[in-house]
Amino acid sequence: MTTEGEVVVRLERLRKHYGETVALDDVSLEIRAGEAVAVMGPSGCGKSTLLNMIAGLDRPTSGSVTVHGEELSTLSETRLALFRRHRIGMVFQFFNLIDDLSALDNVALAAQLTGTSAAHARRRALDLLDELGIADRADLYPAVLSGGERQRVAVARALMNRPAVLLADEPTGALDSHTGEQVMDLLLDLHQLGQTLLLVTHDERLAQRCASRVIAIEDGRVTGERAMEQSA
Amino acid sequence: MRAVWRVAVAAARRRRLQSTVLAVVVMCSTVAIVVALGLLEAASAPFDRTFAEQRGAHVVAAFDRAVVSDDRLVQTVEKQTSEDEPAVEAVAGPFGQAVITVADIGQALPPGPLTVVGRADPGGPVDRVDLWAGRWAGKPGEIVVSRPAEPFFRELLGATVQAEGGPRLTIVGLASSVSRTAEAWVTPDQVQAMSPKITQMLYRFTEADTDDDLQKAMTGMTSGLPGSALLDWQSYLVVKQDVARTASAYLPFLTGFGILGLLVAVLIVGNVVSGAVVAGQRHIGMLKSLGFTPNQVVAAYLTMVLLPGFAGCLVGTVLGGLAAQPLLRLVFQGVGSTIGLGVGVWAYAVTLLGVPAVVVLAALIPASRAHRLSAAQAISAGSAPRPGRGRRVQRLLSGARLPRSVSLGLGLPFARPGRSALTLAAVIIGVATVALASGLFRTMTAYGDTAQRVGHVHTVIHVGRPDQTEPKLDDAGIEALLRSQPGVRYVTADAWIDIHLAGRPGRIMAQFLRGDAETRGDVLVAGRYLSGPGEVVAPSAFLRRFGLEVGDRLTLALGEAHTSATIVGEAMDTSNNLIMVSWPTLTALDPDKRPTQYEVRLAQGMDVEKFNAAVKTAEPGLYPATKSQIDESGVAITTSTSIFTLLLGMVAMLGVFNTVVLSTHERRRDLAVLKSIGMTPRQVTVMMVTSMAALGAFGGLLGVPMGVAAHRVIVLAMLDAVGLTAPAFLLDVWQVAELIVLMPAGVAMATLGAFVPARSAARMTIVDALHTE
Repeated sequence: MTTEGEVVVRLERLRKHYGETVALDDVSLEIRAGEAVAVMGPSGCGKSTLLNMIAGLDRPTSGSVTVHGEELSTLSETRLALFRRHRIGMVFQFFNLIDDLSALDNVALAAQLTGTSAAHARRRALDLLDELGIADRADLYPAVLSGGERQRVAVARALMNRPAVLLADEPTGALDSHTGEQVMDLLLDLHQLGQTLLLVTHDERLAQRCASRVIAIEDGRVTGERAMEQSA
Repeated sequence: MRAVWRVAVAAARRRRLQSTVLAVVVMCSTVAIVVALGLLEAASAPFDRTFAEQRGAHVVAAFDRAVVSDDRLVQTVEKQTSEDEPAVEAVAGPFGQAVITVADIGQALPPGPLTVVGRADPGGPVDRVDLWAGRWAGKPGEIVVSRPAEPFFRELLGATVQAEGGPRLTIVGLASSVSRTAEAWVTPDQVQAMSPKITQMLYRFTEADTDDDLQKAMTGMTSGLPGSALLDWQSYLVVKQDVARTASAYLPFLTGFGILGLLVAVLIVGNVVSGAVVAGQRHIGMLKSLGFTPNQVVAAYLTMVLLPGFAGCLVGTVLGGLAAQPLLRLVFQGVGSTIGLGVGVWAYAVTLLGVPAVVVLAALIPASRAHRLSAAQAISAGSAPRPGRGRRVQRLLSGARLPRSVSLGLGLPFARPGRSALTLAAVIIGVATVALASGLFRTMTAYGDTAQRVGHVHTVIHVGRPDQTEPKLDDAGIEALLRSQPGVRYVTADAWIDIHLAGRPGRIMAQFLRGDAETRGDVLVAGRYLSGPGEVVAPSAFLRRFGLEVGDRLTLALGEAHTSATIVGEAMDTSNNLIMVSWPTLTALDPDKRPTQYEVRLAQGMDVEKFNAAVKTAEPGLYPATKSQIDESGVAITTSTSIFTLLLGMVAMLGVFNTVVLSTHERRRDLAVLKSIGMTPRQVTVMMVTSMAALGAFGGLLGVPMGVAAHRVIVLAMLDAVGLTAPAFLLDVWQVAELIVLMPAGVAMATLGAFVPARSAARMTIVDALHTE
């Protein structure tokens, strides 16, 4: 559990190199509980790399990443998996649902991996899908869902284990504008309910709608930071 | 075509792991195929080939030198060969033939009578003897001994043998004759010094396919000779039948393993290629969008799989050829060198053409699917969500009370039912092979124990022959001595004597038994054991050879004496030239005959060697020999069975390995997603291994009964080939509990095959996988 204002994510002098290519260079920042932060910048600036570091999907070349009090660079692969399971919710641009599982089973999967019983996990998954307005699509498979529906399923899956931070990588990038709006509303609602959010986007409108703070990145370095006035 | 070639080579390089797996599986399968074909060939037609190479004798004839001279025999041949349509194709001889008795030299040459023929050289128009070690006898005092080409016998070279009342001979060469014309050869001068009583003539006839042809030819050949001139003659058909009897015992199980090997190879190749084609669909779409015609795409794709396939086939053919030689020598130990074993050119040709053809055929079906796809469809394969498969099963499993990694794994085989079916079939064959091998092992062990009378006879005490130290004790004294030794439980006295069956040509061996004969461990498949005078127990092969059955009466003849006996039992024994007879029957034929050996069973835990030493000390005229506990042919069969099982098991495991590699490759995104939401490396491993273990469990359920059925068919065929009636204890070799224990073999095979790629999937970098997508 986190309390409002507590530092949930702390990056200190974070560097990530891929061979000669510098993806992140001396990045330091903090995200507090309940904040909604948008990371913006042009393609290839290092936004997604930053997100991957915080999610524990990739390891830094140097520097430290501390999420919810855990220093990620010291964790084994298994501990990192457990960390992702309990602390992080991920939403991807291209949804990344399992095609062979129904919407309900995709959502329930995250809880079932923790050992939650199938019945309990399905009940909670159905509640989440209901909250996101797609309970009637629970038994359908990703192939027959619209883009917006798929992204809602992905958000429900990300929220399943009540994560400390919800990370979203271009969550509206693969959606048409109308569907994108719906997803923005959804993220805003989550933020207003107290969910800590970190969005990676180059969609100014998404940042304006959902984020309380915007961090600008260019060539792997933090080049600016500004507070946002959220539009309803 | 250059573009097609470049694309194919680049694609094969890009898919290094798949190409390597394909090459390795094809290589392993090819090794199995080459060895199986080599063994099949060796078991089916080696005699004819060697017989042709050595220009074997259709007839080996023995003439009485006292009745017909060498000149007369030569004249007869000249007359026959000068006719318009000669019946004789080639002749060798006359060669002097003598029987000498050699003393024990303590090496690989048993003491006793030795048939020696005088020949100036090993070549000639008939019976070109294979001189495989040393040289031919060039002067008196030298001898060439007939032995199969086994390194073990080389120790005989340079040894000297003393002929009883004759010369001392140095062994200068080792040779083998497919026609079995002699046990040893000396120079013509030397054989003259041995007072030969027989002249050997070797004939090849223009018509020699049947016994009638040979009989007719021999009648013509001897028509101008005195009636008693021809003492005996040996047909090559009898030798062929005898050689084939050994080989044909191996044929059923070699054929069984060969078929299993071919099946596994086809399944694995089909699985690998179809998986590679499915995984390469997007690549095919890109080629089409670049302007490749559908046929060019198919050609590029077939070339892509053919490159590693052919490389694997080539290496496998070479390795198979190398592996086949020692295996053939092992399987045909003792007869191999005589019948000239080797993998024929046709086997290599069939493999080099057949295996790539199978690869191409297996690739054609999935490639033709890509042929039909439009470029857009093919490119989108993998990026768009595909309709889920095996949904019902997945839904059912997601609600099951199982760890999620296990339930996800159990559902994976249903997502690719075709591939799972091929993998399952490979596992079934792997398990069936294990079950078959375990059954054959038990059968051969049980047979070997029976043949060697394991636990029934521990030592055989031979009575010294005239050329050895003869015992001072008489028969009764020897038996009393043996029975008085500590730890002796049973003693059976045997007399091995050549007799005739009245009304039938040729001699047979009779083993007259006295004492505790019923404890020797003879296994009866019909009738009962010897219990009184005039009784015979005959091996199944003997009864089959002479068309006899239990209850029939025989007239036994020894010299001028005759006596009647009834066949009271059928024994499980492969000898077709031996009967066991009650001792009083021998007394009726010749009351002066004495046992030639005594078979002794000792109490449990007794030291056999100590017993033998004590007997030898008490009576130097006795020659104890510890009974071998090993049946050579059984060892050969169980050894080759083990090798085949290992090979087929490995190939089945590679099939599983390949399936998991393909699944991992195809499910790269799903695995990355699962890891991103918190699936631990161990859970990923468990999921992937479970997916194959489930198939393995099912494979075990089906494979074990299949292996048991194959065992029954193969053992029955093997027993039939050697003329045995199948006793139940050779067929029903398993308890139900043992079969249940065999079933997890499928799970073990699948788990072992899946573990490495599953671990690799668990270590996969999430970011790379998601980025690739």
